[in-house]
Amino acid sequence: MIDAHAATAATILIVEDDAVIRQLVGEVLRNEGFSVAEAEGATQMNAILARTQPQLVILDVMLPGEDGLSICRRLHAHERCSILMLSAKAEEIDRVAGLETGADDYLVKPFGPRELIARVRALLRRGPRIQAPPTRRFSVATLKVDLDARLVVDQQNAPVALTSAEFDLFACFIERPRRVLTRDQIGKFTRGRVPDPLDRSIDMIVSRLRRKLDRANPGASLISTVRNGGYLLTALVTPTS
Amino acid sequence: MRLRPAIRIGLVIVSTMTIVWIATVALFYSSTSASARNNRPLPAEVAALVALLEQASPAERSLVLRAVTSRSMTVRLEPGNQVGETPKLQRVPRMTERAVEQYLAVMGGRPSSVTLRPEPTGLGKLGLTFSTPIDLELRVRLASGDTLIIDTLRYPVTNLLGLPVGFVAGLTGAVLGLVALFALKRQVAFNELQVRLSQLVRARIAMIGGISHDVRTFLTRLRLRVDRIPDSQERDRAIADIADMIRLLDDALLASRSGAGDLAEELIEFAQVVQAEVDDRYRVGKAVDLRITDAAARTTAILGNRLALRRVISNLVDNALIYGKAAHLSIDSDGQSVTLLVDDEGPGIPRDQREQIMEPFVRLEDSRNRRTGGAGLGLAVARSLVEAQDGTISIADAPSGGARLAVRLPLFVAR
Repeated sequence: MIDAHAATAATILIVEDDAVIRQLVGEVLRNEGFSVAEAEGATQMNAILARTQPQLVILDVMLPGEDGLSICRRLHAHERCSILMLSAKAEEIDRVAGLETGADDYLVKPFGPRELIARVRALLRRGPRIQAPPTRRFSVATLKVDLDARLVVDQQNAPVALTSAEFDLFACFIERPRRVLTRDQIGKFTRGRVPDPLDRSIDMIVSRLRRKLDRANPGASLISTVRNGGYLLTALVTPTS
Repeated sequence: MRLRPAIRIGLVIVSTMTIVWIATVALFYSSTSASARNNRPLPAEVAALVALLEQASPAERSLVLRAVTSRSMTVRLEPGNQVGETPKLQRVPRMTERAVEQYLAVMGGRPSSVTLRPEPTGLGKLGLTFSTPIDLELRVRLASGDTLIIDTLRYPVTNLLGLPVGFVAGLTGAVLGLVALFALKRQVAFNELQVRLSQLVRARIAMIGGISHDVRTFLTRLRLRVDRIPDSQERDRAIADIADMIRLLDDALLASRSGAGDLAEELIEFAQVVQAEVDDRYRVGKAVDLRITDAAARTTAILGNRLALRRVISNLVDNALIYGKAAHLSIDSDGQSVTLLVDDEGPGIPRDQREQIMEPFVRLEDSRNRRTGGAGLGLAVARSLVEAQDGTISIADAPSGGARLAVRLPLFVAR
C-alpha cells in the first residue's frame, strides 16, 4: 500500500479505523505529493513499520484493540518519527494526555484538508520532538520532592519521613496538582484498582499525610477536602532541576 | 446535607432507641409509686384477722388493728351492724370476681359484703380495666357485734387511661420499632433508587457520548469532502454548518455530564480563563473588552471544570456580540464569590422573557434567521454548566441599556 513513485517525499503512515476517513486523508496527502501508507489498527501498523520507516504517523486516539495513546507511547519510545494525533474529543484533558504520551501535535475531528496539510508540513519541518527525560523533581510550597529518589525535604533540607503509601499518595497529587481527585481515582492511580465503597483506608492515609505535611510546611494546608468526597492539592507544583 | 447510608441507618436506630428510653424513664418517674404493687390481703389473712379480733379483748383490738393496718390496707372497727349488700358484679375482671368469691367463702357464715370502690374511671368504664387493680371494701359482722371494715387501697400503677405503665412503654417501644424499621426500609429503598438513577444517568451519558463520537466520524468525512465544492461561498456555508453541528453535540454532551455531576474539577484562576476568551476574540477584531475592578479578583481561584467555564464565557460573549453588537466584561469579587458581568449594546432582554430565555430551544428573535445562527441552546447550556458548579446566572439591564448577564461562582475555600 505504499506509494513508490514519490521516493523523495516524506512517508506518512495513517492509523485510523474508519476506512473512509483513512482514504480521504490519504487522498489529501497524496495530492500534496507525500508517500502514504495506511493501517486500520496496531497489527497492520506494526507490519508496515517492519518494512518502512515513516517520518510522520497520523494516529487516531480511539482505535479498536490497542488504543491510540498506548500506540503513541510505544512509537515515541522506539521510533524516530513525529506523531500527529487525531482526536474525536475536544476535551482538554485528552489533549494533555496525548502530549504527555509523546504526541507532537493534535488535531480535533472534524478537520479540513488545509488545516491537516498545514500541521503535517509544520511537523515534518520541525522533525520529531526530542524530549529531555522529564524532570521528576518538584517544589511544592516550601517542600522539595524527588519522585525518583522518593524523597521529600522541608525548607531546612531535613527529610520528611513518609511511609510508602503516603509517598505514593503525595506523588499522585503532585502529578495532578490543583485537580480534584475522587477516592476512586486515587485508588486507581496509587493501587491500580477502585477501592470498595466502604473502604476508608485512602481517607486515613490522606489525613496522616496531611498531618505530616502540615508539620513540615507550617501555615497553609496543602491538601484540601472537597464536597462529595474528593481531595485536591491546592499548592502550585513547579518542576526544579 | 448528605450523609453516608451507614451513618443514616445508625442515626435512625440510635434516635429511636433514645426516644423509647427517655419516654420509659419519664413515665416511670412521673408516677411516684410506680413500683408499688396491688397488695390485696389474702383471703386466709382476712380469715385469721377476723378470728383474732373475735378472740382479742377490747384493749387488744386497737393494737391488732394498728398492727395490720399498712399502706395497702386500712382496717377499722365500727360498732353495730354495718354490713350491706354485695352488689352484683358488672364488667369486672375475672380475677376480681374470683377474689370477691374467695373473701366471702372464708367468712364462715358471718354476714359479710364486698363492694368495689370507687367506680371505675376512664377506660375502666368501658370494661377495659383488665389489669387495673380495683379497690375492695370488705365488711364482716364479727361475733362481738362490731363490724370489721377492711379497705384495700389503690395505688396509681396505671396511667391516666387506666393502662399499666409497663404496657404503654412496651407498646410505644414496639410502635417506634416498627416506625424505625419502616424508616430503614425507606432508606434502603432510597439508596437503591439513587444507585439506579445514577446508573441510568451514566447510561444516558454513555449513549450521548457514543452518538457524539459516531456523528463526529461522519462529520469528519463530510468536512474532508466539503473542500471539493467549487463555489467558495457554498463551501464556507457548509463548513460553518459542520462547525455548528459539532458545537451542538459538544454542548449536549457537556450539559448532560454537568447535570450528572460527572465533570472533573480543578482549581482555576477565573480571571485568566475570561482573559483568554476575551483575547481570542479581540485578536480577530471583535468589540470585546474586560475590566477587572480589584486586584484580588485577578487571582481568585474557583473550583470548576475548565472546559465548562470556557463554554459558559464564550456562549455569553458570543451572544452579546451577535445580538448586542459588543461585549463589555467585568469581574468583581466579594470574598465569597466572583461575579462576571457581560454587558452588551443591544436592545436588552424584556423582563418577562428573562426566565424563559434560559430554557433550551427558546430564542428571542422571531425571525430565526440563519445569519445569527444557533439552536437556542447557548444560555440553557450556560445555565446548566454554571449551576453544576454551584453558581448562579441571572439577567438584568446594563447601565448602557443593553442586556446584562451576570454569572456568580463561589470562591474556593480550603478546608
